[in-house]
Amino acid sequence: MTDITVPQDLWDNDDEGVIFAWIYADGAVVEQGRLIAELTVEKAQLELIAPASGRLRILAPAETIVRKGTVIGRIEPL
Amino acid sequence: MTQQAPDTGGSARTLTMARAGREAVIAEMRKDPNIFVIGEDVAKLGGVFGTTVGMAEEFGAGRVIDTPISETGFIGIATGAAMAGMRPIVEIAFVDFIGVCFNAIFNFAAKTHYMSGGQFKVPMTLMIGYGGGYNDAAQHSQCLVATLAHVPGIRIVTPADAYDAKGLMHSCLQDDNLTIWMVHKAIWGLGWLGTAIKTAMATVPEEPYAIPFGKARIWREGNDVTLVGYGITVHHALQAAEKLAAEGISAEVLDLRTIVPMDREAIMKSVRKTGRVVVADEDYMNCGVTAEVLATIAERDPRVLTAPAIRVANPDIPVPFSRPMENFALPDADKIVAAAKTTLQSSC
Repeated sequence: MTDITVPQDLWDNDDEGVIFAWIYADGAVVEQGRLIAELTVEKAQLELIAPASGRLRILAPAETIVRKGTVIGRIEPL
Repeated sequence: MTQQAPDTGGSARTLTMARAGREAVIAEMRKDPNIFVIGEDVAKLGGVFGTTVGMAEEFGAGRVIDTPISETGFIGIATGAAMAGMRPIVEIAFVDFIGVCFNAIFNFAAKTHYMSGGQFKVPMTLMIGYGGGYNDAAQHSQCLVATLAHVPGIRIVTPADAYDAKGLMHSCLQDDNLTIWMVHKAIWGLGWLGTAIKTAMATVPEEPYAIPFGKARIWREGNDVTLVGYGITVHHALQAAEKLAAEGISAEVLDLRTIVPMDREAIMKSVRKTGRVVVADEDYMNCGVTAEVLATIAERDPRVLTAPAIRVANPDIPVPFSRPMENFALPDADKIVAAAKTTLQSSC
């Protein structure tokens, strides 16, 4: 099982971000390396990539405010 | 409400309009080396609205070209390139800048195929953002869809969700004529542009597909009144339909989807059923797309209407900068609800 964490290098400063949208629904099968969510920080739209393959579990829904390091989901083995 | 997308085998993906349009552009560029993108901030930045993110890395500086602030210059470059056999995509981030492009668009791109007796095609696609609602004032909030629709020789589409965005972009890029693909800024899917309208996101298949020009789309069926819109006003109309349903009024929401050529038969089919129509448009009222919809009904059969038609559009004023003033002027769900109820109270 792998945590989906907002990466430390996703944006430059310590600003808060918000989860704009999840690309896949909770329970969907996703592939490592694919885009799974979009985050908005200031005026930038950022991409969150799946760290592993498996079943997506969404812990933080769209519109949740996040910081770097926040765990927003999990990828469970199939 | 989302349109059913065919099952691709992989998990269903919900995309923003910007991302869906971009997928179509990338797929077509991989197939056809003659396609290139030109505009401000398309390469390094990936487009002001995220329309070209990642493309400069994949296709190189020769095919994704950053320009200075010089619309007159680069629309001319692209029009000439199209006549010489290439297939340019020109990003015009804000439709308000189109004024300095009129000569290239109206007198060359729209007419050269005809005036050359078919010797020169102009397979150029313009990718344009339009609309207001986020306090960007008179010169950065316009729609100007009617202005572009008025001159013959141009195909114009206004997708209202991600599924239509991708399918219509494929059609634009495969067409040998001047095509304009226009997206309202509030529905691109950009968090920083204000409240995101989530009904514009949709399930989008991974493989390419083309949606034909000239086909409207019914987003919601109803019997009491037809709400016609395009772009953002489809989403306002959907909200309005929900509010009307709570009061026992059944509204049909018709998305024009293509402005030129307009699906006039779809308009007639709907108003024959309901007998009442509200047309919503964020463009200026006078001589607008709304007027063309009503002209269609008046010409084909005005007797289908059981009440006067109502247009909900931007008043004929410059879009205000002041937030309360802009909100007062812009079409929204409540104004559409009020108009729909008025059609139900009056009768011809």
